[in-house]
Amino acid sequence: MRYLKEVFAARELLGNLVAREVKGKYSRTIFGQLWSLVNPLALMLIYTFVFGLIFRANPDPGDPSGLNVFALWLLCGLLPWIFFSSVVTVGAGSLVANAGLIQKVYFTRIVLPLSVVGSTAYNWLFEMFVLLVALLIAGAFVLPWIPLLLVVMIMLTVFSAGIALMLAIANVYFRDTQWFLSIALQIGMYLTPIIYPISLVEQASKDVGGLAGTPITLIDLYRLNPMDHFVTVFRQVLYDNRWPDGIEMLICLGWAVGAAVLGTIIFRRNEKNLAEAL
Amino acid sequence: MSDIAVSVNHVSKSFRLYHERNQTIKSAVMRGRRSVHEDFWALRDVSFDVPAGSTFGLIGSNGSGKSTLLKCLANIYYPNEGAITHFGRVAAMLEVGSGFHSELSGRENIFLNGSILGMSKKEITRKYEEIVDFSGVEKFIDQPVKNYSSGMYVRLGFAIAINVDPDILVVDEVLAVGDSEFQEKCFQKFVDFRRAGKTVILVSHSMETVKLMCDQAAWLSHGELMITGDAQPTIQAYQDSLGQG
Repeated sequence: MRYLKEVFAARELLGNLVAREVKGKYSRTIFGQLWSLVNPLALMLIYTFVFGLIFRANPDPGDPSGLNVFALWLLCGLLPWIFFSSVVTVGAGSLVANAGLIQKVYFTRIVLPLSVVGSTAYNWLFEMFVLLVALLIAGAFVLPWIPLLLVVMIMLTVFSAGIALMLAIANVYFRDTQWFLSIALQIGMYLTPIIYPISLVEQASKDVGGLAGTPITLIDLYRLNPMDHFVTVFRQVLYDNRWPDGIEMLICLGWAVGAAVLGTIIFRRNEKNLAEAL
Repeated sequence: MSDIAVSVNHVSKSFRLYHERNQTIKSAVMRGRRSVHEDFWALRDVSFDVPAGSTFGLIGSNGSGKSTLLKCLANIYYPNEGAITHFGRVAAMLEVGSGFHSELSGRENIFLNGSILGMSKKEITRKYEEIVDFSGVEKFIDQPVKNYSSGMYVRLGFAIAINVDPDILVVDEVLAVGDSEFQEKCFQKFVDFRRAGKTVILVSHSMETVKLMCDQAAWLSHGELMITGDAQPTIQAYQDSLGQG
């Protein structure tokens, strides 16, 4: 509890660090904040071309929204994934990148990874806003779902922050973490139903049946991936425009709380050693 | 106000000197959990009190543990044994201008750096004029700091740090910044500090500085406390030992 108070007391510092990241990131570029859209748009074009047109991954139309646009369907899952993956990547490196500061000044260390979460969330908000506009233009009745969308976005933010805290510490002791992470995230992206619908996995799982004679199926293992649940909920809210399954929401909440609690505990335990370990 | 500003109580600090360190997963797996190290005691059972309102100098040769002690005082390192108790707000100036963001303007960096050092936004706004004035970079305050000369950079950093207005200020060898005019200003600031009843703890290799500024001193040698007390005799003892050695 006392620790939370300490973190709360550092909120101004956190705000300033977030502002530093946000202002510094696109300074001296002509397009400024628009650059934040370029990466998702480029990926969208590639995936839509490869998986939408060539492989013909054919997700069901939004129910009840009636949307049937692969690019939009893709973005509803892709934007949350990009957010998660950049929070985790940059967050994991945040302590090492600020080694000089940690060794010279005392402050609540947790603000360093959290400021990465904040500045990435800022960019994500911007991207999601543009996606909302695009969905509206395409005819989705998405406005009433915005409050629920914000709740889900907060859950994903908390989840990503928890993971980033753990990895930031791990990276101080094992610099392999960041390299390992980039591979893990690439694999993770293909193990999450972002560019193909989960119905394909369900089908494949049925064909294979129980693995090695057990009742465990492929889909059971597949669904252990927390990001699968987040992406599912995001699609249900944004693309289908309906209440997400209660159980899915609960699983997301569980992952978010679990990651945040564990991340904070691990971070707190190691915080005092950072100046020496770096 | 209590009479003691900082109480250092049987503080020991060791570092691990790794002969073979498991800093990669490969080596951790190959050799198991064991990494080969020996403990190096940078500080051994150091105890002293810093009286409130004094200017306290830490002296000693290179590698005597001064900087380690200073970092312990600044809450950057934590002692393995013993405890350090502060009575009042501590600010540490171990390096000026750390945490500046080169793309941001001087003004933005004042707010950023001030909050890293623990000032609230209100406080910074209140002291903003004073900080800018002290640093002498008014004309360039809206320029990104990457265009500052090294002198301007350091002066701005110093001006922010000195305006944190702590009860206890911990300073490392940073007095050697800027031109002589600026040094004079800094020196004046320390005098004001002392007059306001604040405590300053500083590390310096320059015995002249220590003699001039400190009324109390502690001499460390190889991590152990040799003498502590009034500045003059302590410095004398230290210099005598150098003469012999």
